Amino acid sequence: MHQDKAAILDQLKFIFQDTFVDSNLAFSIDTSRDDVAEWDSLSHIRLLTAIEASFDVQFDLEEIVNMTTVATIVDLLYEKLN
Amino acid sequence: MHDLPWLLKPADDFNNRCARLLNHAAPGAEVRLLANYALSINQSSRLYQTIQQFDPEKRAILSRNLIPFRLGIVSNATMDLMIPAMVTAALRNGIDLEVIAADFGQVAQEAFDPASKLNQSNLDAVLLALDYRAYSFFVNEPGDSGKNDPSLESFDYLQQIRQSFALNGNTICIVQTLAYPPYDLSGNLDAQLDGLLRKSLNAFNSVLAENVTKSVDVLFDVAALANAVGTHQWFDERQWYMSRVPMANRYIPLYADYLAKLLAAIRGKSKKCLVLDLDNTLWGGVIGDDGLEGIQIGQGHPVGESFLAIQQWAKSLKALGVVLAVCSKNDKAVALEVFQKHPGMLLQASDFAVFMANWEDKASNIRRIAEVLNIGMDAMVFVDDNPAEREIIRIMIPEISVPELPKDPSQFLRVLSAARYFEKIDFTADDAQRNAQYADNARRQAMLQRAPSLTDYLISLEMKIHFAAFNETGRKRIVQLINKTNQFNLTTRRYTEADVLGFEKSDRYLTLQIHLQDKFGDNGMISVVICKNAGDCWEIDTWLMSCRVIKRRVEDAVCDELVAIARSNGIKKIRGYYRPTEKNKLVKNHYQQLGFAMVSSDDSEDIWELETRHYQPKYPPITIQT
Repeated sequence: MHQDKAAILDQLKFIFQDTFVDSNLAFSIDTSRDDVAEWDSLSHIRLLTAIEASFDVQFDLEEIVNMTTVATIVDLLYEKLN
Repeated sequence: MHDLPWLLKPADDFNNRCARLLNHAAPGAEVRLLANYALSINQSSRLYQTIQQFDPEKRAILSRNLIPFRLGIVSNATMDLMIPAMVTAALRNGIDLEVIAADFGQVAQEAFDPASKLNQSNLDAVLLALDYRAYSFFVNEPGDSGKNDPSLESFDYLQQIRQSFALNGNTICIVQTLAYPPYDLSGNLDAQLDGLLRKSLNAFNSVLAENVTKSVDVLFDVAALANAVGTHQWFDERQWYMSRVPMANRYIPLYADYLAKLLAAIRGKSKKCLVLDLDNTLWGGVIGDDGLEGIQIGQGHPVGESFLAIQQWAKSLKALGVVLAVCSKNDKAVALEVFQKHPGMLLQASDFAVFMANWEDKASNIRRIAEVLNIGMDAMVFVDDNPAEREIIRIMIPEISVPELPKDPSQFLRVLSAARYFEKIDFTADDAQRNAQYADNARRQAMLQRAPSLTDYLISLEMKIHFAAFNETGRKRIVQLINKTNQFNLTTRRYTEADVLGFEKSDRYLTLQIHLQDKFGDNGMISVVICKNAGDCWEIDTWLMSCRVIKRRVEDAVCDELVAIARSNGIKKIRGYYRPTEKNKLVKNHYQQLGFAMVSSDDSEDIWELETRHYQPKYPPITIQT
């Protein structure tokens, strides 16, 4: 299934809004773990599960460790989906 | 199974409804509705965080009609991710859960130190959320049976933890069986060779289950849960290495719901009655349209066997003490003919305590069933293949449980049994007889309509009552009654088996377990009284009675006996307490009717006293058996 990066970003935005309760959540391609107060090690696991379920993909351990910015996640997803 | 298929999926506006809860003055009902959906871990977290923001007054409103439970947790893993799911699952199951979690890995420290956080927290139970990694199963060389058996060493360690919490924290433990991780060494030999993990875990789980059954503790069979899910799915190494999450977190909602059902069972809140539709639920097809020849039920036909499996399930539940009832839109004679004449039917009409087949709306029929059986709507499960009927019942009777069903009847049984409505922590002689008792009740009701007066009716019942102090034989049933009786319950104090054992052994308490027989059969233990000795006065800590025997003057017989014992012990005064709840208005004037005088009354408690020498025995038409 081909999906361009803009479409991935849109879908990811929805997952972020579902995972983090803060309604003023900042979200863009430039968002990183430092920008989101709720993004701690445990919500990282919740985020991971939500992304894997939504895109039907599985990340390697090392990818999970490194996915600390939206840009990295989009790149990883783009690679896996195409 | 991870997505809780017996529950409705949350609607698209779930997040908005959570947000609106903050502006809601009395959010109790809405919170319960939201918790009743099949919530993902993210949705559980959202609902949990919203509730955490309630001010104390609003939080108190939510707690009404819920049973409080203080649960401690120790674990060798990270449990923080699970707490929101546990609290929302508890709400779904009628429990107001407060979790007191020990710090990561602090298992032995919390158990062995009497001053530890958990031991000081006055808990209702401690969950020992331990998996195989909490124990030392790898001490031996494989095949070396000379040294100590690792399963027994691990079991000894767990025993010490359990005993320490009992002793230092005065609390029961919820103990987990151990799921086997998907790492075989030699395939089939793994179950046979001493020192290999599979053999050790099998031995551990089997010794544990046997031991827990005989103790006051409660088993949480996580190994069975992981097997049902599949251990390749259950374990997620990535999450363990990253954050010490003990299983793939997509299964956390399922784990949490099963835990909540166990807590509800400890509190006596399991479902008691299974109400079944007929057409396309107990057989394939519509009897009114298709006729006896046209419906599908029984061996030899694939669809018929699917429905036969449902009937077998219901029949087995009945043997475990679940009361069965029918609620169907049908002509009663036509429906009954299926039970009498179709050779493929397993269930008999006599398996059902109440059989409602008519053309009235199902909500009225279900209410009528609850009335005849004298049980609450929250103790009932209604199974119907028709989504529209399910929807109406959910709206008309929000307290009842109505499972979603898939389209394919071959999948019904999976979903129904996965819902675990009938979670039990014990099986008592009363459970074995329950259906007979409820059927007797229905016959007694029929007699009530014919009998000329209530007194004549009571005399005709030929009731025999038996009093005994608490003892080992009655203990489990006493705990069951204490934790599930809501209506005829003066103080609604809930006690664990350990507490009840305490009353039994203490000479500061007078305890009574009361059994009742009548000409229709044995009602079993139907009432419990606990009195605290305070000098020349007895204080009635607990007085409760099963609703099965209400309006039969059993309480008069109990009071006669209580006063007689008090007098023979030189007790001058008996003090009774009424503590109002949502459900016990029935007994507001209980002590007045027995001749007690009111001493004081406020919102939380009415206090009544009786001078034993002024007491007029009631002599109800009940024979005392010695």
